[in-house]
Amino acid sequence: MNVDHGYGMDALERAILELPLEEPPEGLRASILLATAYRPAPPFSFVDFAVLGSLGAVALWLIVMLVLGGGTLFVHTLTAIGAVLARTFSNGAVLAWMAAGGATALWLTLFTGFQPATAYSHRSHRSAGR
Amino acid sequence: MRAEPNDGDLVALTLRGNPEAFATLVERYERAVYHLAYRTMHDVEEARDATQEAFFKAFRSLRTFKPGAKFSTWIFAIAYHTCCDRLSRRKHYSGDELPERADSAPGPEQRVIALDEASRLRAAIDALPEKYRAVVTLFHLQGRQYEEIATVLGLPMGTVKTHLFRAKEQLRRLLGEMEVTES
Repeated sequence: MNVDHGYGMDALERAILELPLEEPPEGLRASILLATAYRPAPPFSFVDFAVLGSLGAVALWLIVMLVLGGGTLFVHTLTAIGAVLARTFSNGAVLAWMAAGGATALWLTLFTGFQPATAYSHRSHRSAGR
Repeated sequence: MRAEPNDGDLVALTLRGNPEAFATLVERYERAVYHLAYRTMHDVEEARDATQEAFFKAFRSLRTFKPGAKFSTWIFAIAYHTCCDRLSRRKHYSGDELPERADSAPGPEQRVIALDEASRLRAAIDALPEKYRAVVTLFHLQGRQYEEIATVLGLPMGTVKTHLFRAKEQLRRLLGEMEVTES
C-alpha cells in the first residue's frame, strides 16, 4: 500500500481498497454455524411437549375424579362428555366451520412453506462437531 | 472442473435444506461482515456478537432474500443495521453519547502519530464522523459500487457520493496533518 505524499484522490482510494480486512476472532465461524445451519436439535420438540402435557393433564384429571367421587363420578363425567361430543359432531354447522378452518390452515401451510430453522433442527447431530 | 456455486444458488440450496450451502456463505462473508461490525462498533466482543447476530437474522429470513439481488449487499445491510441497533441501545443505557472507544486510550487523532501507513489510514478513518466512516468502510468492502453502498445504508446514491467525497477530503487533511506532525 502506498499513499503518495500529496494524498491524491486516486492514491487515497487505492489505499483504502488495499487495506487488509480485520481478522475475525477464533471460533466465530463455528459459533455462527452452531447458531444457524448446524444448530443442535432440541431434546424435546414442540409436539413432544404437547403430547406429554396432554397425557399429564388427562392423568391428573383421572386422579382427581377417582379421589373425589370414586368410579361413579368418573363414569358420569365420561358419559356427559360423550353426550356433548356426540351432539356437537352431529351438528352440520359445526362440521362445516371445522372443515372451513381445516382448509384455511392447510392453505396457509402450503402458502408459507417450511422454515429453514425448523427444517434443520433434526439433522444437526451429524454435523454439530464441525 | 466444476464452477463454484454463486451466492444465489447457495441461498436456494440452503432453503432446500442443505446446511453446507449456508456454511459456504458464512465462509465467504464472515470476514467482511466482521470487518464492517468491528469498524462500526470498535470493540472485539461487540463486533463478534453483532456478526453472529447478523448471520442468525440472515438465516432466519433467508426466504425474504430476493433472487437476483446481491447477497453481499443484503448481509452487509443486516449487519450494519444490527450494529446501529446495538450502538443505539448502548447509548440509551449509558444515558448520553458514548466515546469512540470504551478504553481510556488517547483519542483517534492522537493515536495516528508514528504508525505505519496502513495503520495511519485506519486511524484516520476511525477519526471520521460516523456517517463518513460507514461510507468509507463500505467503499472498502464493496469498491465503487455506489448503488450497493446506498442500499446498505438506506441513503440516496447522491448522498453516498457526497459523503464519500467529503470523507476523502477529511482523510487527506488528517493524513497531511499526521505527516506534518511526524516530520
